Amino acid sequence: MRVSHEWLGSMVDLEGVSPKEVERLLTISGTEVERVTRFAAGLEPLVLGEVVEFKRLDGSDHLFLAQVRGSEPEPVEVVCGAPNLFVGALVPWARPGTRLPSGLEIGRRRIRGVQSEGMLCAPDELGLGADHDGVFTLRPGEGEPGQPLRELFPEDTVYELEILSNRGDCLSHLGVATELAAMLDRPVHPGDMTPVDATGEPIAQSVEVRIAVRELCPIYTACAFTAIPQLPAPLEVRRRLMAVGQRSLGVVVDLANYVMLDVGQPLHTFDLDRIQGEDGRVVIEVRPGRQRETMLGLDQQERSLAPSDLVIAANGKAAAIAGLLGSWDSSVTPKTTQLLLESANFQWTSIRGTSRRLGLRTEASARFERFLSPHLVPMGTRRFARLLHDHLGVSPRPGLLTAGELPPPAEPIRISASRISALLGMEVTAGESRSALERLGFTVALEGEDLVASPPTVRTDLSQPVDLVEEVGRIIGYDRLPATLPALRRPPAGPSANATQRLAGEILMGAGYTEAITLSLFDPGRPRPVSGLGDGVEAQRIANPLSGALEGLRVSLLPGLLGSCQLNQARGAERTRLFEQGRVFWTSGKDGRPQEPELLAAVDQGVDFQASDSAAALRHLLRVCQALGDRLSADSTKFMAAVRPGFHPVRCAEVVSRGEVRGVVGELDPRSCAALGLRGRVVACELRVDGWLLPGGRPGSGRELAQTPPLIMDLAVSVPEEAPLGEAVAAVGGIGLAELEAVRVLDEYRGAQLANGLKGWTFRLVFRDPNRTLTSQQGVDLRDRVARVLADVSGARVR
Amino acid sequence: MTGDDLQALAATALEEIAGAADPDQLEEVRRRYLARHGGSIAAAADRLAEVRGEERAALGRAFNAAKRAVTEALEQREAELQASLWDRELAEERMDLSHPLHPLQRGHQHPVARTVREIEDIFTGLGYTAVAGPEIEDDLHNFQLLNMPEEHPARDGHDTFYLGGSAQGWLYRTHTSPMQIRTMLAGKPPFRIIVPGKVARRDNPDPTHNPVFHQVEGLCVDEGVTVADLKGTLEYVLGQLFGQDRRVRLRASFFPYTEPSLEADVACGICAGEGCRSCLNKGWIEILGSGMVHPSVLAAVGVDPARYSGFAFGMGPDRITALRYGIRDVRELYENDLRLLEGF
Repeated sequence: MRVSHEWLGSMVDLEGVSPKEVERLLTISGTEVERVTRFAAGLEPLVLGEVVEFKRLDGSDHLFLAQVRGSEPEPVEVVCGAPNLFVGALVPWARPGTRLPSGLEIGRRRIRGVQSEGMLCAPDELGLGADHDGVFTLRPGEGEPGQPLRELFPEDTVYELEILSNRGDCLSHLGVATELAAMLDRPVHPGDMTPVDATGEPIAQSVEVRIAVRELCPIYTACAFTAIPQLPAPLEVRRRLMAVGQRSLGVVVDLANYVMLDVGQPLHTFDLDRIQGEDGRVVIEVRPGRQRETMLGLDQQERSLAPSDLVIAANGKAAAIAGLLGSWDSSVTPKTTQLLLESANFQWTSIRGTSRRLGLRTEASARFERFLSPHLVPMGTRRFARLLHDHLGVSPRPGLLTAGELPPPAEPIRISASRISALLGMEVTAGESRSALERLGFTVALEGEDLVASPPTVRTDLSQPVDLVEEVGRIIGYDRLPATLPALRRPPAGPSANATQRLAGEILMGAGYTEAITLSLFDPGRPRPVSGLGDGVEAQRIANPLSGALEGLRVSLLPGLLGSCQLNQARGAERTRLFEQGRVFWTSGKDGRPQEPELLAAVDQGVDFQASDSAAALRHLLRVCQALGDRLSADSTKFMAAVRPGFHPVRCAEVVSRGEVRGVVGELDPRSCAALGLRGRVVACELRVDGWLLPGGRPGSGRELAQTPPLIMDLAVSVPEEAPLGEAVAAVGGIGLAELEAVRVLDEYRGAQLANGLKGWTFRLVFRDPNRTLTSQQGVDLRDRVARVLADVSGARVR
Repeated sequence: MTGDDLQALAATALEEIAGAADPDQLEEVRRRYLARHGGSIAAAADRLAEVRGEERAALGRAFNAAKRAVTEALEQREAELQASLWDRELAEERMDLSHPLHPLQRGHQHPVARTVREIEDIFTGLGYTAVAGPEIEDDLHNFQLLNMPEEHPARDGHDTFYLGGSAQGWLYRTHTSPMQIRTMLAGKPPFRIIVPGKVARRDNPDPTHNPVFHQVEGLCVDEGVTVADLKGTLEYVLGQLFGQDRRVRLRASFFPYTEPSLEADVACGICAGEGCRSCLNKGWIEILGSGMVHPSVLAAVGVDPARYSGFAFGMGPDRITALRYGIRDVRELYENDLRLLEGF
């Protein structure tokens, strides 16, 4: 919402308070200033000109030739295209040589043979808004010919505010001024709302108001005015409306808008002549919309109404959708002379629902949606009547029609001064608290230690003692609070939930993989040749997606990582190594709540990889998986050859520990990569972390360090080509040789020295006995035992 | 052979030793003077057997002196020659240390993960424990128990993704606050937790929004926890994240689940609070929302608001990351472009 510094200044003394300070005070007290702009800057060179007479310019269908008089008695000729000139009008005049606020310099120009002495200006040309429908006109008496425009348009500052969603009362200058006054500790002076003496025929004789649904409309009031003059709204009203970005739309609408922006009560106006029946009577009823009921709105759009809508019906016919829109044929026009003014309160959920249903939002609906207080209703009527009377001499007809009633003022809230201090963490005396609340318009009584505070009736956000703590806190200022830390009375609750993730991430980063984060949503319509552990899982759909591209909840981390490979490839990367840790979403049986397994996935793409490069990359990735298991799980990790969709037919393994499959690792099938537009080869793994890796990792273990020297023996064997090395090594480890400290594979050899169908393995065996130094003969015996086991398990022969 | 002869011989030997250019020449010199057979100084030993008395003693002394002098000179020269040999060999192993390096294949931490870790570490130091919760939530935990009944206007800022095909109304959590509720329902005060994790809101991606992003929620509930404690905690944490000299400002705000509610800003890093283009002339940059846990929220999860009070806060590591590292478009954070990630 926009508010004008000048307008605020009419309600609270801003003497000596700079716009910067206003901005600061509002922002820290909760009314955030989003932007500050200047209004009516650069008007100095402009003056008012009086239109003495005007006529169509010869040969033009839209230009006029006006005789315009400034401070000199003789008028001069100015060509003007505005359709709203009238004799006697005072208009902003840019004489030749004037520089407009936009920087444009106005010269003396010949138009259709006439020398035009400058130009008459529309509001937009003066930087006073977007209005370009005609020149800005003043009535005679509102200014003097030749008077500097600046005298009528003092420069102003406009604040664009973000009003908190529970502070509907701040959606007006009065509301904001009240906040500002409290922060400044100065009084607030609302605009004049003293009642106006009524004249004419009592309204109750011809108009009746009813509410059919009290729960949606606690109070509805109407009053009537006759003899509305055909004049624009007063300059001050129009100027302030322009300052906050409102267009001028005629006196009635302008005043209604003005009152809404002034005190916060939305008003609606009907042309009484247009809604009354032939007998001159009208019944206004607040009722739900009916089936198949429609209404042609002021915007000339036909809308269907629903039973959930709140409708203002005049003699049975929808004349307005409450808080949103008047009907085309009930609205005021420039010709309106008899006015019916509605000031009412509508229940916020109803307004909100209809606003959403119709996709329509208005200044009024935006206010009703925020729990506007019904106590604003009479303020709106009185302020409107007072302005209409004081500026245009119009008096209301006797009687204010009221259906429903104002709720009683809220119960006072009781809180002890010590409770306020205890919660704020600073000693605040009862007197200080009381003063802070009174500055905000509370009525406060002190009862012993307790404050008993009645909130201002326009506030709807206050009901609990803790609400008072906030009011006191923000008015005395959070900058006054000390900065303390809460006492730690219980030790922390143990390792953090993501300790495993951290350790796993360190292993992967140490191994050269870079951490990635992808969105958890994906496009289920695109092919997904690789889904890792989520293969075969049907992805859950978002019921209200932003776009098809983000319609599914991911079931695997791999598609996202492969997408990142694609992006990096497109941006010139030759090798992309990434890993991600995060949750995926799998459907589960019972209540439809998805399981959220925690996965870790890694990819390694080389755009120039051949099969041998990817073999090396895969071995590296296997070592990474091995390290994860060794460091972070309680059990040993095995890789069991497997066939998985999307993976290479003979370069894929399941990661197994304690008999359970924990993940999959392998090279991707080059055809899968091609389907994803990935060049070269890609190796990948996806592991399920929860249930496998331990928070904090495998506990360390110490050992006694033998002081005897190791005995190192190498053993070379030949084995059939198909013999798996992992099995052989596991078998050697399984012999249970106490002296065998380590087995290392030095080499796997194929070539000329071996017969076809055979390959060679060279092992380095490290033997050690902690109690004695082993002899070479003992070493040979031990090596022979290993060789026998290899012969049994792998068909090995010593070379 | 006399002592003088030996002395002269030794002097010649020393000259030849000094002139030896390599170990082979040196060996040749050694052989000529000291070899048991044919060495000219060694030959003096044979003479010793032939003389007696005073002459023998004098010759013996001269012999020992000559032999020692030559031996020492040989050793010294050999060491010199060895050293120069190493010098020559090592000189040939010269490397161009300015040669551009093939970088170590280390992985890089994602900047958002890095920020989250830092936040975790800061809070761990304050006695908080990081907990994780489900990303798919229900309306009860995401909204209702946080004082946001259906149709509450505060839900406007929480445009929510709902899951299809289930009457249960599962949704992608819009904040990490549901874990406050789950933690308090499951335990007894005091509580001191942070909840890092992913959340989602139905915002179209733009330079300051991603539909999925991270949040770190915090909760501290105990007897006697105050707004001043919240202030002290936030000032400390933001000082750790943005530098101790960055000013922190608390201002009043509104969240349905806290009362009082406060937002914390840090002074703009460029203009330090004066207002500049980078901060849209505000001088301050919004960092987090916070407040004292609303008594109704405490009561709804079985914590007695008359006895306990506490504060909660929620911050956006994505935004903090963007601010700290000058990343102008948060969408880049989830592209995983290696050129960006390698800066971390």
